[in-house]
Amino acid sequence: MALPPQSTSTTAPPDELPLELLHGELIFSGILLSKDKEGDINELLSKLEFIGFSTGYRLIERLLKDSTRFKDELDTIKFICKDFWVAIYKKQIDNLRTNHQGTYVLQDNCFKLLSKISATKQYLEHGPKFLAFTCGIIRGALSNLGISSVVVAEISTMPTCRFHITIQRAT
Amino acid sequence: MTIHNLYIFDRNGTLMYYGEWNRKKAGTMNKEEEGKLVYGMLFSLRSFLEKISPLDLKDNSFCYRTSKYKMNYWESPTGVKFVMNTDLSSPNVKDLLRLIYQMVYVEYVVKNPVCPMGEYIHSELFAQKLDEVVKSSLIYTSKTS
Repeated sequence: MALPPQSTSTTAPPDELPLELLHGELIFSGILLSKDKEGDINELLSKLEFIGFSTGYRLIERLLKDSTRFKDELDTIKFICKDFWVAIYKKQIDNLRTNHQGTYVLQDNCFKLLSKISATKQYLEHGPKFLAFTCGIIRGALSNLGISSVVVAEISTMPTCRFHITIQRAT
Repeated sequence: MTIHNLYIFDRNGTLMYYGEWNRKKAGTMNKEEEGKLVYGMLFSLRSFLEKISPLDLKDNSFCYRTSKYKMNYWESPTGVKFVMNTDLSSPNVKDLLRLIYQMVYVEYVVKNPVCPMGEYIHSELFAQKLDEVVKSSLIYTSKTS
């Protein structure tokens, strides 16, 4: 009986699995436990975002230990789009837009944590829950680089999602 | 060579998914009852085979054929059972069932946090990928025999 080749495009190597499964389970037990109570869901999501914040904060420290300082803000965001995203999700951000006045939009056309759930509008209402953790990671990473920001995510169709970063300037 | 339909059961006997491509005669009962009937038959048949088989083959797959169709069964080590009815001229679909398990079930159900384990699969992505795998296999032709 011939087995199909091990490395096909749809099966992930085993080392990426624990993060995907753990993250999925975190969200799922949150959805299950809260049972449509709006307040509980929001509380869960902000806790998840804070966990992401701490994670991103420490992660960026580890990833930059051998690099030099960034030239400017745009350079920092580009680093987030490339090396940082590759370190976590093994791919780069597909599209970056900015208005050069402190707002950046990062678009990922096939977000790892959403790719197994749906390719259409099914389960769209659950989508944002899976992005809270990642918003926190981005915010934490930027915070440790001295940039204070607000990160919001939106989904129009799965599995494409967009992260909006708004830099808070001290006035 | 066509594929008529496919049932997927979990280890407790719950019908996880039913897909049909080419069923000529509609069943006389609804989906859950039909699922229970099929599962009961398979369970009895499998324990019967284990006891009565003259050969010492530890296999997790078997099939039976009638004069009109062939039913193929494959079970994963975790107890997920795949049952596929094909027509008589199809070769053994054991590999196809294992492929469906590996490429579609594990990827889009086990790894999908929104799909609870032990319940019917409502995910459209799963249905779409299953359809792709079945239609692209050599056994499926759109012409009905």
